[in-house]
Amino acid sequence: MPVSDELDEIQAIFFEECTEGLAVAEQGLSAMAAGDVSKEVIAGVFRAVHSIKGGSGAFGHAALLAFSHCFENVLDEVRGGKIAATPEVTKVMLTAFDVLADHVAAAQGVAGPPSDAAALAALEEVLATKGAGTMAIASPAPSTPVETTPVDIEPAPAEADQFGFTPVIAGVEELDPFGFEPVGVSMDDLGSGDPQPWTVRFDPSRAAMANGAEPLLAVREVERLGGVMTEVDISALPPLRDLDPEESYLTWTLSVPATVEESTISECFDFVAPDSVVEITRAAASMAPAMPAPIDPSPAEPKTAPPTPVLALVETANEPPPPPRVTSTADARQVEVVQQTIRVDLMKLDMLLNLVGELVIRNSILSDRLPPVDQERVELPELARLTREIQDNVMSLRAQPIRQAFSRVPRMLRDLAGETGKQVILEVSGETTEVDKGVIEKIGDPLTHMIRNAVDHGIEDPADRLAAGKPAEGLIKLSAEQKGARIFVRVSDDGKGIDRVRVRAKAIEKGIIAADAVLSDEEIDQLICAPGFSTADTISSISGRGVGMDVVRSNVEALGGRVDITSTPGVGTTFTMILPLTLAILDGMIVRLSGQRFVLPLTNVIETVRPEPGQVRPMTPTSEVIELRGNYLPVKRLTDMFGLNEEARRSPEESLIIIVESESVGNVGLMVDTIDDRREVVIKSLDQNLYPIRGLGGATILGDGSIALILDIDALVASAGPITSNAPLKGLAA
Amino acid sequence: MSTLNTPGERKIVTFSLGDQMFGIDMKALIEIREWEPPTPLPSVPAYIKGVTNLRGTVVPVIGLAERLGWTPSVLHARSCILVATIGGKQAGFLVDEVADIILINEDQIQPAPEVETCEQSVIAGLVQVAPRTQEGAAAETSIMVLLLDLESLGLMRHLEMAA
Repeated sequence: MPVSDELDEIQAIFFEECTEGLAVAEQGLSAMAAGDVSKEVIAGVFRAVHSIKGGSGAFGHAALLAFSHCFENVLDEVRGGKIAATPEVTKVMLTAFDVLADHVAAAQGVAGPPSDAAALAALEEVLATKGAGTMAIASPAPSTPVETTPVDIEPAPAEADQFGFTPVIAGVEELDPFGFEPVGVSMDDLGSGDPQPWTVRFDPSRAAMANGAEPLLAVREVERLGGVMTEVDISALPPLRDLDPEESYLTWTLSVPATVEESTISECFDFVAPDSVVEITRAAASMAPAMPAPIDPSPAEPKTAPPTPVLALVETANEPPPPPRVTSTADARQVEVVQQTIRVDLMKLDMLLNLVGELVIRNSILSDRLPPVDQERVELPELARLTREIQDNVMSLRAQPIRQAFSRVPRMLRDLAGETGKQVILEVSGETTEVDKGVIEKIGDPLTHMIRNAVDHGIEDPADRLAAGKPAEGLIKLSAEQKGARIFVRVSDDGKGIDRVRVRAKAIEKGIIAADAVLSDEEIDQLICAPGFSTADTISSISGRGVGMDVVRSNVEALGGRVDITSTPGVGTTFTMILPLTLAILDGMIVRLSGQRFVLPLTNVIETVRPEPGQVRPMTPTSEVIELRGNYLPVKRLTDMFGLNEEARRSPEESLIIIVESESVGNVGLMVDTIDDRREVVIKSLDQNLYPIRGLGGATILGDGSIALILDIDALVASAGPITSNAPLKGLAA
Repeated sequence: MSTLNTPGERKIVTFSLGDQMFGIDMKALIEIREWEPPTPLPSVPAYIKGVTNLRGTVVPVIGLAERLGWTPSVLHARSCILVATIGGKQAGFLVDEVADIILINEDQIQPAPEVETCEQSVIAGLVQVAPRTQEGAAAETSIMVLLLDLESLGLMRHLEMAA
C-alpha cells in the first residue's frame, strides 16, 4: 500500500513536470514559429520533450514514450543543426506537440489515446528526408524510433566464462551485444586537430534497477550521441551464487565525440537512479570545437560531474548571449531557469497563508485593545510591520505568472484554425504579470470561452476580411496588466464587432429583454453575457451553445471580478476581465445585522454616519434616502436585503449608515446595526463547497471559529432594484 | 481500510429522519459531528441551513429531511451532521440520529420502484436490514433502509435543474 501510494505520488509529480515541460516546449515552438530558431530555444524544447520521454518510460506509458521518443529524435537533429528549423519543420513539430500534449493527457487518464499516426509519419518524414546523408561523424542516426526492448542478454565467448555461466558482457573488443561500433572507428574519426573526445564513466547505483532506472537506457542514449563503449568494469560482479539479477554491478566507460556538448551527454543521465556515479571528462585539448557555432566554451582540463545529474551543469553549458529576437518573456525565462526552485504542496502554502492571516488578525486585535503608549512599549508597530511583510511574502509565494493561463491559447487557436478555416495571429503581452494561483486556475475556462468566441463570432472568414480591406489572417491580442489591486486581462480581436441589431433582435426573441426596451450600445453588448443567449445561426462545436459568455461572466463574478465589453462595428471587440489580485485576504469592517456578523470590504467604505433624527427619510413606502451635506443618497437596509427582518425594524437613529461606493450606482448608504471591528480577514470561497451566491464575496472564519459572510457591495446594490421586505436577493439559480 | 471490502460488499451508514431509516455509502462520509447552528445564508433554498466551519473550510449544512421533501427535522440532543463528499465538494447533512454502520451485499439492494416524483429520484435503492438489538444479536423483524444517491443530492446539480 505505501509503495503504490509513493509511486502514485511520484507519478503525480511526473505529470506536473509534464505540464511544465509542455508549457516550455510550446513556448519554445511558438518562438521558433515566430522565427527565433536560436540554439537555446531549440535546446529548451528538446529538454522538455526529453524529460517527458524519460518519465514516461519510467512509468510505463508506452504510447507516450514511443511518440515522445520519435519527437525527440527530430528535435535532436534540429538541435544538432542536421535538420534546418525551417517553418515547415517547425509546423510539423507544432502538430507533434499537440499530439504529445494529447498523449500526456491520455497517460493521465483524462482523455482517450490520440491518433498519432499522421504526426508520427510527418516526424519520420522529416527525419528521413532532412536527416539522411548529412550525418556527422560516428553518430548513428536513430532510424527506428522506439526502443523499449529490455536488456538483451547475448551469449558471450567462452573464455570469459569465469563464473561458470554465460556472462552478460565480458569484453568489448570481442563482441558487440549492443550493436555499437568498435572503438577504433570513432577514435580515428576524431582528427588530431579536433578537441579530445569526452570520456564518460557511468557507475549506476546497485539499486538502480529496483528504482526503475534501467542503466542500459542511459548507456544507449549516450551511444545514440555517437558514444562508443571502451571499457566495461566487471570487477564488482560477484560470483554467481551471490549475484542478484535485480542489481547493477557494471561500470561502463564510453568515449563520446568531442563535438557533442557536455550538457547533451549529461542529459542522458537525467533519469538514472540517485547515487549513480556519472563522470564526464575530457583529456586536455586546445583546439576549438568543431561545431558550426562555438557553443560550448568547454574547460580544457578534465571536468567531473557530480554523482547525480545536476541541473546547473546543463544550464551553464548553454549560456551564449541571448538571441537578438528576444521577446519580453525570454529574459524572464532565462532567469527562471537559473533560479533554484522547490516544489511545495499548495495545501501547505494555503495553511501558511491562513496562519499568517490569523496572525494579522491577532495583530489588529492587539492594536485595538492597547492604548498607543502601550503599543509603543511592546513594539507593536514593529511587530505589525513584520507581520505584514511575512504576509506579503507568503502571498507572493502563491503568485504565478499569468503565462500559465495563456499557454493553452496558441494550441486552441491552431485547433480552431483547423475547424473554422480562420487563420489567426496571436499577440501576447504582459504574460509575466503575476497573479494569485487561484485566479490563474479559475480564469482558464473564461479565457477559453472568450478566445473561442472571438474566433467564432468576431473574426470573419478570410474572404470577408479581404473584402473588408483587412488582412486575411485575423489578429487576436491577449494582454494582462496590473492596475492597483486589480488585474486586467484583455482579449481583443480585429473582427467585425458586435452586431447590435442582431443581438437586440435575438435578445427579444429569447425573451431576455422586452421588445420596447431602450438600451444603450453598452447594454446591448452586455446582453451577450446573458444566460441562454446565443446568436450563432449554426450551433458549432466551438461556441454557440449559448453558455459561453454566460459562463465567462458568472466565473469571473465568482472570482470577485467583472467583464467589460467594448465593441466597434467593423473594427473589433475587446473583452476585459477585471480580476482581484488575490483571493486570499481582505481588509474589512465587521458589521452586525440582527445579531449576525458580516464583513464589509473596506475598499468600498467612504464614511460612517450616525443619523440624526430626520436625516433619513422615506422616499417611497419601501425606499429611503439620507441627506448628507446637501446631497440625497439612497439608503438600503441590509437586513431587508438579506431577509433578516424578523425582529422589529430598527429606527435609523439606532442604526449606523455606512456610505459605500459602488461602481454601478455610485454612493449608497447601507444601514447596519453596529460596527464590531475593523480587521483583515482571510477569504474562503463559498463555491468551494457550495456555489457563488450573488451579493456575497465569500465567507471568513472569525477568531472564535464562527463564520461571517463577506458582502459584495457592487453585486448587492446593483442587483437590488426595488427592494421589498420579502424579495431578498436572487441567487444564481433564479 | 474501508476500501478493503470484498467485491460486492458495501459499508453503509444508517440514520433516521422521522420514522424513516436511510443509508449512505460509508466511502462518502467524512465525519459525524454534533449539531451546532450554522451561519445562515441569504437567498438560498430553505433546505440549505447555512454554512459551518469544518476545520477551516466553509461547508454548507443541508436539512436533509426538507431536501428530501419530508417535514423538517426537529432539533434534539441526538441531532447530528453527517459530513460527506459529493463530487469533490463537501456538505453537511442534518439528520435525526445516526443508527449503525452495516455491511451489505450489492445483490441485497433492490432498485427503487418507479414512483411519481417531481424530481429525479434521490433514492438509489432499498435494502432490508435486521436491526441490531442491544445485545448485538439480529432482531426478528427487518426494516427497510432507503439508500440515498448522494450524487443527486449535490447542490450544483439541484440548482441546474431549478434553473
